Amino acid sequence: MTEERNLCDLSFLKMNMLPLKLRPLLKALTSNIEIRNIALSSVLGIKEIKQVQNDKELVIYGEIQPSPREPYLLKNEDHCCPICASGLDVKHTDVLILSQFVRSDGCMLPKRITGLCKSQQKRMGSLVTMAQKAGLMPNLTPAWSKKDPKRRYRWKKFNTYFDESTIKC
Amino acid sequence: MSALKRVQQWATFARIWHIYDATWQNPFDSAQLLKKYLMGLYKPIYHPMNDCGDHVILINSADIALPGNEWQKRVYFHHTGYPGGASWTLAWDLHTKDPTMIMRKAVYNGMDGNLQRRYTMQRLHIFPDANVPNELLGNVSNQIRQIRPVPKRLDHYSEEEVQTAPKVIDYPKDYVVR
Ligand SMILES: [Zn+2]
Repeated sequence: MTEERNLCDLSFLKMNMLPLKLRPLLKALTSNIEIRNIALSSVLGIKEIKQVQNDKELVIYGEIQPSPREPYLLKNEDHCCPICASGLDVKHTDVLILSQFVRSDGCMLPKRITGLCKSQQKRMGSLVTMAQKAGLMPNLTPAWSKKDPKRRYRWKKFNTYFDESTIKC
Repeated sequence: MSALKRVQQWATFARIWHIYDATWQNPFDSAQLLKKYLMGLYKPIYHPMNDCGDHVILINSADIALPGNEWQKRVYFHHTGYPGGASWTLAWDLHTKDPTMIMRKAVYNGMDGNLQRRYTMQRLHIFPDANVPNELLGNVSNQIRQIRPVPKRLDHYSEEEVQTAPKVIDYPKDYVVR
């Protein structure tokens, strides 16, 4: 169960219900309020809260959880980045690999998170774009997305494939 | 003539029915492939004056794939014959109007223009989806292999397959997954 309580929740005040003159005032009010969400259950999934009862003291600590990717991670003994070390020729249809570099809304992760070298980061970015344009990762899209590639606008609803040799880098 | 020779004779001159699934296939590459079967070019008895072409049933022509931005850039020209009767239609526009037209034009333009071309085209049966009449489907005895592999969408993999696929990178220890 997740309970999130925002002490200064003003969202019940609908913007469009207010007269025009009051809107900037409300915006100024709400933007200065520091919002802090309190979660009782694991939301982020980084740490798990554990309790240890010794004789007279109760130790409560957060333990960093192992990543679910860890058992399936490729070994990288080389000094170069994971993609260079693996020696893979990644295509834009390899969605199982490309989906590792994007967030749940389809945004590319930055280089400091992926840990790729500059050229591979750029190449993976292009490949992710290609896969998204081809509609191969419809579940990793923004919330407002229609999710179904066939319901996209005009020419976007038709199947498209790409040539990886057109990537410049 | 022995029984074997007689059957061989029938088999040589019989028209074979092929089926081809155009899902995620380039229409212009497919045209070069289908042309071979439609004209009977692969047969040892082939001769331009010899009517030995086969039938091809092409299914799922609505799901063909074009490379890059060709859906927006490829233009189909038509002229009614009257002054000002010229019109240019983009590929995506034509495909929305008739999902078989791009495929039909690709095969037609892929062949040389001669008196046989229109009869050869009559042996090509294009369907926008997989609903083929049973009397046609009953004739089929061969499936033509697709040129391009059909890509698999990420949401068509099972959850377990996505989880247990080999991972290239791991998140930093303190990274909050979004
Ligand atoms: Zn590298």
